[in-house]
Amino acid sequence: MTKEAKKPFRQSVAEWRQFVYNPDSGEFLGRTAKSWGLILLFYLVFYGFLAALFTFTMWVMLQTLSSDIPKYRDRISSPGLMISPKPDTALEFYFNKSDANSYAQYISTLKKFLETYDDSKQSENINCTPGKVFDQNDVADKKACRFNLSELGQCSGKEDKTFGYSKGTPCVLVKMNRIIGLKPEGEPYIQCTSKEQDMVEINYFPPGGSIDLMYFPYYGKSLHAHYLQPLVAVQLAINSNSTNEEIAIECKILGSPNLKNEDDRDKFLGRIAFKVQMTE
Amino acid sequence: SNSLTFCLLQFSLSFGIQDDHKLSASELEEKYGTSINKGLSSSRAAEILARDGPNSLTPPKATPEIVKFLKQMVGGFSILLWIGAVFSWISFGIQFAQGAESPFDNLYLGVVLALVVILTGIFAYYQEAKSTNIMASFSKMIPQQALVIRDAEKKELPAEQLVVGDIVEIKGGDRIPADIRLISAQGCKVDNSSLTGESEPQSRSCDFTHENPLETKNIAFYSTTCVEGTATGIVINTGDRTVIGRIASLASGVGNEKTPIAIEIEHFVYLVAGVAISIGVLFFIISVSMRYKILDSIIFLIGIIVANVPEGLLATVTVSLSLTAKRMAKKNCLVKNLEAVETLGSTSIICSDKTGTLTQNRMTVAHLWFDNQIYSADTSEDQTTQPFDQSSPSWTALSKIVTLCNRAEFRPGQENLPIMKRVVVGDASETALLKFAEVILGDVMSIRAQNKKVAEIPFNSTNKFQLSIHETDDPNDKRFLLVMKGAPERILERCSTIMINGKEEPLDSEKAEAFQTAYMELGGMGERVLGFCHLYLPENEFPDTYPFDTDSMNFPTSNLCFVGLLSMIDPPRSTVPDAVSKCRSAGIKVIMVTGDHPITAKAIAKSVGIISATSETVEDIAKRLNIPVEQVNRREATAAVVNGMELKDMSLQQLDDILCNHSEIVFARTSPQQKLIIVEGCQRQGAVVAVTGDGVNDSPALKKADIGIAMGIAGSDAAKNAADMVLLDDNFASIVTGVEEGRLIFDNLKKTIAYTLTKNIAELCPFLIYIIASIPMPIGTITILFIDLGTDIIPSVALAYEKAESDIMNRRPRNKKKDRLVNEQLAVYSYLQIGIIQSVGAFVTYFTVYAEQGFLPSTLLGVRVDWENNAINDFEDSYGQEWTKYQRMYLQWTGYTAFFVSITIQQVADLIIRKTRRNSIFQQGLFRNKVIWVGIFSQIGIALILSYGLGHVTALNFIPLRFQYWFVAVPFAILIWVYDEVRKLFIRRYPGSWWDKNMYY
Repeated sequence: MTKEAKKPFRQSVAEWRQFVYNPDSGEFLGRTAKSWGLILLFYLVFYGFLAALFTFTMWVMLQTLSSDIPKYRDRISSPGLMISPKPDTALEFYFNKSDANSYAQYISTLKKFLETYDDSKQSENINCTPGKVFDQNDVADKKACRFNLSELGQCSGKEDKTFGYSKGTPCVLVKMNRIIGLKPEGEPYIQCTSKEQDMVEINYFPPGGSIDLMYFPYYGKSLHAHYLQPLVAVQLAINSNSTNEEIAIECKILGSPNLKNEDDRDKFLGRIAFKVQMTE
Repeated sequence: SNSLTFCLLQFSLSFGIQDDHKLSASELEEKYGTSINKGLSSSRAAEILARDGPNSLTPPKATPEIVKFLKQMVGGFSILLWIGAVFSWISFGIQFAQGAESPFDNLYLGVVLALVVILTGIFAYYQEAKSTNIMASFSKMIPQQALVIRDAEKKELPAEQLVVGDIVEIKGGDRIPADIRLISAQGCKVDNSSLTGESEPQSRSCDFTHENPLETKNIAFYSTTCVEGTATGIVINTGDRTVIGRIASLASGVGNEKTPIAIEIEHFVYLVAGVAISIGVLFFIISVSMRYKILDSIIFLIGIIVANVPEGLLATVTVSLSLTAKRMAKKNCLVKNLEAVETLGSTSIICSDKTGTLTQNRMTVAHLWFDNQIYSADTSEDQTTQPFDQSSPSWTALSKIVTLCNRAEFRPGQENLPIMKRVVVGDASETALLKFAEVILGDVMSIRAQNKKVAEIPFNSTNKFQLSIHETDDPNDKRFLLVMKGAPERILERCSTIMINGKEEPLDSEKAEAFQTAYMELGGMGERVLGFCHLYLPENEFPDTYPFDTDSMNFPTSNLCFVGLLSMIDPPRSTVPDAVSKCRSAGIKVIMVTGDHPITAKAIAKSVGIISATSETVEDIAKRLNIPVEQVNRREATAAVVNGMELKDMSLQQLDDILCNHSEIVFARTSPQQKLIIVEGCQRQGAVVAVTGDGVNDSPALKKADIGIAMGIAGSDAAKNAADMVLLDDNFASIVTGVEEGRLIFDNLKKTIAYTLTKNIAELCPFLIYIIASIPMPIGTITILFIDLGTDIIPSVALAYEKAESDIMNRRPRNKKKDRLVNEQLAVYSYLQIGIIQSVGAFVTYFTVYAEQGFLPSTLLGVRVDWENNAINDFEDSYGQEWTKYQRMYLQWTGYTAFFVSITIQQVADLIIRKTRRNSIFQQGLFRNKVIWVGIFSQIGIALILSYGLGHVTALNFIPLRFQYWFVAVPFAILIWVYDEVRKLFIRRYPGSWWDKNMYY
């Protein structure tokens, strides 16, 4: 009855074309050139104002921040652990001790990582008193403590350029995340364990995997430019009859009551788990 | 019943009713295997019942519940969300197969999306079911009983069990339980109005009076009412085979039009879905070409869809509509179909019945003529006195005739009811006279008792008068008083004198002339006029023992004394004139469509203002100028009274012409079938048409109309079934309040949608910037759902309670094609202006949270891949600190919460500005709508609970937020308010300007 008949296709195309450009009224997409001009001008002003406002509020906000330390550090109250080298795929080391190519990546990463610890780079660093927190709150020029690569023993890359990978005793460096102002209590040390105890023997450099308190606290990138975080090298002497086996290792920070290592959700808070599989 | 012939012929032709009316009683007995005295045997009746089924109308075919439910699951945005859910599951499948670390996030997201669809679907289904249930309660009336003769015994049976051949007895007040061929009748009258629209009761007898079964007097139809008298008849049709049943099935053949609001919502859904899909696809392409993985791109796509779709909006619209429906129900408009709430608001033409809708549906004395003078009586609904001058002795005489020459009586036990509300046994005119007398004189029944009736001749159509003889209440006056009333000219014929100021004067030609003038004048007002006369019978000729015999009429019936005239009309409801003028100022055309006589129709139309005092019809102009009707310039006439007979011969073009060129139209003597033609004519003009109706045969017109309005009191079930709305008090004025509510909800839905759409941009921008600038994700998909289905719901419903900004009844009905619910201005203003401000405000909060934790904005750009890498647990911030993945995630969730809180805070401002579209908030009153404040507090309350209460439930990604972050976006919220006030100021200040055109939605 009053049902509208479907518009023929040609008509709707014509209508569409009319909408895109209407030669009678000079309208392009339903607006005349003047109308488009006005609307574009309006939005130019409108968004220009918003952009200025955004910039201004961001500037004000940034003014309230210190360039030295972040306003809040509650989201990182306890440090995470991380290792170097870090394999591309997850935290799993696969290498063939007789094939230099299979671990070349690890070695170059380690070398690069340790470059900043080279003695030549540590000329400005001072020797601090071991075993004591190195408080420099009142000092404007914050000094960094020297970390001697020799502390890493066989894992320093000095004697063994392959960091033990060619010998089946791969080195992995364990480091604790930098957190501004963190002062570990007690005598923190790294301890790594493997469920497959008989497959691997674990050695630590410095001995006992200890982390010296003198490297703390950290004062942040701008105040503490030369800061080097202490490292613990873990050397895995893989049992010769355990080659081809996947060995799961978990390292934890122990000995310090204020460093968490048992968080349910954060698997990297004060601990790290990785796997090593060596072939021949 | 001339006017009905047309439609009845139609019926007969299409229905081919049987010839039962022509058969004799014995032939009928034979045909139906029954006996008039004994009825059917119970066993035989049971057999027929098994064969024919119960005597009830099959309800219109209902859509199966499961289909209704499934429709809710795929309608609106559901499809988009299903797509989102399926994509989530696909990406879960891929990730799971690849052994990724946390594939379950996507599984959950898919489940949540599916749940959202299912829950909103269930909600919509429940809402619909609830409104359907209201209607169901209507049709479930007390089961009707019928008095049947079976097994030679009278039995009360439910009318449903009647079968063809049953002998039923009916009496005044009963509903006819089936189509019945009468075999005996005593003073039986039926009200066929539900069938034919004719309001006059029609007498029924057992005589075959017309070839047409629908015109003959010996058939009574199912669902009509017996007004008075008694009758016995044979059931000849039951259930759907009755005439009513056939019309009802005809009505279901007329398709239901889509409601305007359904069209608007569809338009809106298309618009939003279009935006969602185009942005989604665009960014899918962008992210693929930016070398994101396909899987990631799909996940972005889901996010964009979720951000773009206002999940809660359709539920909100439903709630708003049902709130309005409730409000309308309180004002006596019961809405069956929720969407009809708004249809009423966009109505541009109302085709209204006269009887009962515009008028009170009861005869009332309107004028009196005695002592050569016309007096007006009060015709209002709640009259308690009559103001006209009652000092004349002529009035005393007249009142005595009115009181005594009347068979109508009040039903007992109503002494405490107002007189006008009491139920009367008797026909319409007698009822009117009885009530009139009771109002003026008080206890009529005792007056009658004091003036004992000794003889009576009831009204019949041959002599057209009613006569009774009474003893007088004066113990000293032993004369009998003969009183008579009837058709004025017949009464006058029998009179030789006329009473003037209580004195009998000879009826000379001058006085007869005065009578004629008065009679014509009253008749010309469309009123039914009755003449009254009396005679005191001389005591010597008629002693108290005189045996009056009404058959031989052994008493004088001529040379009587004429006393006066009374005229009656079904007066307009007192609220109607006001309502009609409201319609007029609201740009709604009111067309009267009635079965009544044109003169009566015109008189009522004039008195309620459908025809305004100054406008003239063609006939009026012709009369005024004293020229033939044909010479009148038809354009000059604003009003038109169209007779059904004229309408019959009209072409559609001519009808369109009338509908177009006259602003005030009355259709008189129309059959209900012509109503359908008129409705279609109006719809051809592009109008949204509301139609009122009560009869069964109104149902096609009710269905055809954009909104069919059935009468709750007088309406038949079929009409109520076909209608979208039921007027509980049958009052036209209620329609107007309904229109007001409908217009208001349209405005308020606009506000609701504008409010809801705005934050979609603030939800969408994070995704777009995340993809383009590779910053950490600012807001999570689940968080978005918490805004859409959590904090935003109550505020958007609260806008439904907003009062109108200006007198919405002073503007024209909205143009279906131009005034869209969601127009370009609304979308642009919400999306590109307020939405963008909200995004900026939320991003400021986001950057603040990150910066204060150590990630300056410059550090955040381009970090996405490393940031999200599970193996990187020494991610360095701007200060040299290192973060594990989980620490970053925790920060990211803090960002989500901050972003969420900022949107919520700015939505408070958005809610406040949406209270008005043109006026300043301060003109509207910030605190007038209390529900808005409930909305604001709920919004903030939910946000507080989510952040601080559920901040430790990991799956929800909410984090207890530092208190100051709640205030970062406040300046932007204030900006939104100020900006909108400026916008409204310019709109008010410069109407029609560029600003007005582009900024007013």
